[in-house]
Amino acid sequence: MIAACCALLLQAGAAVAQVRSVEVRVPRAFGYFLGDLVRAQADIAVDPGFSLQRASLPAPGPLTYWLDLRGITVEESPGRVRLHLTYQTFYAALDARQVAIPGFSVSLESAAAGGTTSAKAEIPGWSLGVSPLREVQPERHDDPAEYLRPDGRVSRLDPLPDMRAALVALGAALLALAALGYDRGWFARPGRPFAKAARGLRRLGREGEGGYREALRLIHRGLDETDGRRVLADDLPAFLDRHPTFRREGPALARFFEASRRAFFGREVEAARASLPWPEVEAGLRRLAAAELEA
Amino acid sequence: MPCPAMRESVRRFWGRLRPRLLLALPVLLGLASLGFGVSAWRADSANRSIAALEAGTDLDVGIGAPAPVLVARIGYLAGHGRLEETEPLVAALDRAGAADAASRARYRIANAQMREAFGLLTRGALDKAGPQVTLARQDYRRALRDRPDFWDAKFNLDVASRLIRDFPDFDRASGDEMRAEPKQIWTDIPGQPRGGP
Repeated sequence: MIAACCALLLQAGAAVAQVRSVEVRVPRAFGYFLGDLVRAQADIAVDPGFSLQRASLPAPGPLTYWLDLRGITVEESPGRVRLHLTYQTFYAALDARQVAIPGFSVSLESAAAGGTTSAKAEIPGWSLGVSPLREVQPERHDDPAEYLRPDGRVSRLDPLPDMRAALVALGAALLALAALGYDRGWFARPGRPFAKAARGLRRLGREGEGGYREALRLIHRGLDETDGRRVLADDLPAFLDRHPTFRREGPALARFFEASRRAFFGREVEAARASLPWPEVEAGLRRLAAAELEA
Repeated sequence: MPCPAMRESVRRFWGRLRPRLLLALPVLLGLASLGFGVSAWRADSANRSIAALEAGTDLDVGIGAPAPVLVARIGYLAGHGRLEETEPLVAALDRAGAADAASRARYRIANAQMREAFGLLTRGALDKAGPQVTLARQDYRRALRDRPDFWDAKFNLDVASRLIRDFPDFDRASGDEMRAEPKQIWTDIPGQPRGGP
């Protein structure tokens, strides 16, 4: 909301018939300290068709020894040109007083069929009320440097947000790693004896006779751990009753017990290997581990 | 029906994507964590440099240091009478567009100049104090141009302005802008205190 505190109307004379009026408005025209920004708005009412010549605007920079023009923006609508002016005052006032902001003139032109008509608009100067920042006679100090404000501390950077983000990302990375490990089966899961046996089998490799018997022993151990007691060939039907998820594997388990009997009691490892070859041992154990997941 | 076929293809796609996603996720998150960690470490080491400079230890931080570190270094140099060394650092702040830091740096330089001027004044060297005050006023003014609501700079500019006042018509035409005229090299005549407080 801009109150017309400082409004000046220029009555259009004969020579500037195309410029109807010029009005300067400021939000407040008093109470400025040195270093303050002063915003003003100049409204130029013109005949339709006239537009501002940007090159005729004053260039931002120092205007007087105490006043800088910081910037000008232009807003044009039919019949009106509005200038937004930003000044900065550096007037070190000893008492509250009025200082004069200088005026300036801008050119306007209208390109009609008969040629270009140009006109000049005078933006009038206006006065600004500046105020002192300090008392005229400050309290006496022995060291004159004490009249100055101190240097102040340099603001520190804040490492906390980055630190927090790093910790959150690290936590998420560990969770993702755990998910990966779970997916790839890197960890021994309690209560999954067949998965453990399958891992043991992978480590075992295919080493001759001893390896084959060791593989059978792993499956035995898996069965024993699943049931919580020793499972022999005769116990198979009862075992399948107690653990129905493995019922699908019944025939395969029966063949396994047969091979086991041959290998351990009949000392016919080669015959056992012929009846239940290594790939079938692996595949069977994998199926058991998969069935175990459904339990 | 296209629906089961589509569902099947989506399932197959997800099946192919899942292992890769599971592998990529920990790696990417780990890298992000590392990046944030390095950034936090940098901020912390910058804070340590600032604390050391404020405690009076000189650190040659170089022009590429973060803005607050440069301000602290400029403050150190200004406090130890090495004003000419501050110029490249202030220029670096200007180039980096750190208006706030540049404003604070100029304020500290101007304060150092003012203290020097007060020292000269108490020793009676009026002719040497004048140019110092003028330089300080230029720096305060530039500091305020970058940050118009810098109240400490306004206050100290007021102190400096009362030491040497401007006179509108016969002394200067355009404030504290340093403008060397072609014939007139000296923009201020040293040793002429103009106007009392």
